[in-house]
Amino acid sequence: MKEIIFAGFGGQGVLTGGLILSFMAAEKDLETTWMPAYGATMRGGKANCVVKMGEVGGERIGNPLMGHADALIAMNEPSLDYLGKTKKGAVVIVNSHGVDENYEYPSDKKVYKVDSVELAEKVSNEQGQNLVMLGAMMKVTELYPKDEAIDLMCKFFASKGKEKYNEKNIAAFLAGYDAV
Amino acid sequence: MAKELLKGNEALAEAALRGGCTFYSGYPITPQTEVMEYLSDRMPEIGRTFIQAESEIAAISQVMGAAWTGEKALTSSSGPGVSLKQEGISYIAHNNFPCVILNVCRWGNGLGSLDSAQTDYNRETRGGGQGDYRCIVMAPASIQEGVDMMYDAYDVAEEYHNPVVILTEAMLGQMIEGVNLPEFKPVKKLGLIRPYGRAGKDYMEKYAVHYNRMVDELERWESIQTEDADYVLVAFGMPSRVCTDVVSILRGKGEKVGLIRPINLWPFPFKAFEGIRPKAFITVETNETGQLVDDVAIAAKKSGAGDVPVYCLATHHECADEEAVLDYFEKVKSGSVKERY
Repeated sequence: MKEIIFAGFGGQGVLTGGLILSFMAAEKDLETTWMPAYGATMRGGKANCVVKMGEVGGERIGNPLMGHADALIAMNEPSLDYLGKTKKGAVVIVNSHGVDENYEYPSDKKVYKVDSVELAEKVSNEQGQNLVMLGAMMKVTELYPKDEAIDLMCKFFASKGKEKYNEKNIAAFLAGYDAV
Repeated sequence: MAKELLKGNEALAEAALRGGCTFYSGYPITPQTEVMEYLSDRMPEIGRTFIQAESEIAAISQVMGAAWTGEKALTSSSGPGVSLKQEGISYIAHNNFPCVILNVCRWGNGLGSLDSAQTDYNRETRGGGQGDYRCIVMAPASIQEGVDMMYDAYDVAEEYHNPVVILTEAMLGQMIEGVNLPEFKPVKKLGLIRPYGRAGKDYMEKYAVHYNRMVDELERWESIQTEDADYVLVAFGMPSRVCTDVVSILRGKGEKVGLIRPINLWPFPFKAFEGIRPKAFITVETNETGQLVDDVAIAAKKSGAGDVPVYCLATHHECADEEAVLDYFEKVKSGSVKERY
């Protein structure tokens, strides 16, 4: 079972970012859960979701809550509060635009810094910061091969009637993928 | 085909329609509002009746009227809203009308909070309103299970002429999982229902038959590795998912631990406790004082297991995680916590 936390401020696309991961798993016939931060935290302040995915077909997912994540995508500094919910050796993708460069990370995490704002602007997709982070995470964790991940991401947006943005979204994904 | 990713509240709303629901009346409340929001759009689309009532009392009264005439009626709410509906539910149960009530449970007494919890266990399993009746209570642990329950809920309600309560939790309503949605059932309406009548000897005789049939036929549960277990966890809904993980962890360490997961909360699955002889039962519940623990104590006594101690881990307004259950388990083993019964 894989567990990934996608965290940031409301509006940074963290819930959608997590949903794309769940969609990818479901398309591969794997069990998956997507649990949003629930309650007042959804309005403007901290937002997060935790996604769990089976690794083989039929693997049942018990507790859907955050606990021992394999990866944390942190779009801002408060998201680093969830470092305690990650495993030893977990991958942490940090948005360097939103986190103090002198932040001291625990030594047992593999930290990758990605400026999602600058990279998203560079490909003229300011709203695609979550996809920049998703691309970086995909490369580091090797969750799915690049082309398969891109196909599934495009399928996700198509399922929401948003396939016309696929080209811009691929550019954002690749900007992150190539930055780590 | 890949499963569809659906939010719990929306998945159960769609499942109700596919299971035959023809009439809905309700009033908004977090964390249930997506059920109404979804149905407000979907029911007119397929020619069914949706009403946003002026209050919870109006909603349950409309459900009673609709159920009386044989409509497959649904209402939904959360803890405080279902409280307001209790008088109506009592009348519905008294008059043997079938209907379905969905409670997406949030924490709390009074207004409570928006936290996910299981604090309405006692109310739902004891009838809740005035008088002496029970609702059939089903508690899913996954969105798929909730969908399957809701899909068959009208068949059960009509078979037993009794209200069915589906008790989910805020987390289960808000989370997303992959779901296989079943096909639409053909809608067969019962027509006008003849109530059992006013209280009296005739009524009591009829209700006794009705009650005993539910008790005899509707126990449902899942047992995981209980046969040889020294310690048996008992949990439903979200905590039961955590306990499933805990059983795997502890079995991996050579501890003989099992889990009983009640699927129907009423009638309580007493049969699940027959023939097992653990050193202790441990309930894991998202509430303050422990509620399920009372039924487990009765079940332990009824099963003939002897004087087996029953412990309760009640984790307030947060669902227990694996560490909390493991920690409590060690305390039970070492004797550093006191049993409830």
